[in-house]
Amino acid sequence: MYRIEIDQSLCSGFGACAELAPDVFEVGPGGIATVRVGETDDPAVLDAESACPMAAIRVIEVQAA
Amino acid sequence: MRDPTFWILARASGITAYLLLTGSMVAGLTVKSRPFGRAVKAAAVVDTHRFLTLLALGTIALHGLALTLDSTVRISPAALLVPGLSPYRPVPTALGVLAAELAVVVVVSFSLRKLIGQRAWRRLHWVTYAVFGAATGHGLAAGTDTGRPWAFSLYVGAVCAVAFATAWRVLTRSKGGNRVPNRDRPVAV
Repeated sequence: MYRIEIDQSLCSGFGACAELAPDVFEVGPGGIATVRVGETDDPAVLDAESACPMAAIRVIEVQAA
Repeated sequence: MRDPTFWILARASGITAYLLLTGSMVAGLTVKSRPFGRAVKAAAVVDTHRFLTLLALGTIALHGLALTLDSTVRISPAALLVPGLSPYRPVPTALGVLAAELAVVVVVSFSLRKLIGQRAWRRLHWVTYAVFGAATGHGLAAGTDTGRPWAFSLYVGAVCAVAFATAWRVLTRSKGGNRVPNRDRPVAV
């Protein structure tokens, strides 16, 4: 399982995360990305972390409860 | 005998600034097209893009300073800020002044993106093509070395590099578009 943190002060709304993992990320009307779910096992979040131009996404691997 | 140091410095810094601008544009265009996939993080490409941009601005400043200090052509400090004031090849020189000023606007807009809004900042980034076009015109028409094969090849290579990176970016864009829900589309680049 992965827990995702977004540094919203860095996010510049490129939308790469929402393209790569649309079930996990969404970009609001203000152009800032938010997380749809608290934790996920979708490996696409790793791609989203790597693709974020502002390095605003942090993916933390956690043990499933 | 007249000392050519500043004249040579002006020409060298002008060409260097143009190469840095080209590199910055190519890096910026590959942020999302990601030609190296996961091997290179997008954030590292953005850092490279910003670093090259700042280097380009510094080199442009050096270009202007060298021109004002040189006696080959008479360019006043005011002519570096106001397009058309330079008596030396006024139109091509004006293009260079405009390119530099627009570049400063684009760079400053990054720091103001929260204030002006992400979308406005992104739209303003299109001005970079005007900067590149004006810089190319300035270099070709005002540059002393344009007639030399190496210099002309450099301009052709730079234009081809930016055109290729732009085409790649456009083609990559259509590939990932369907994965974004419609309500989220407006902010995706």
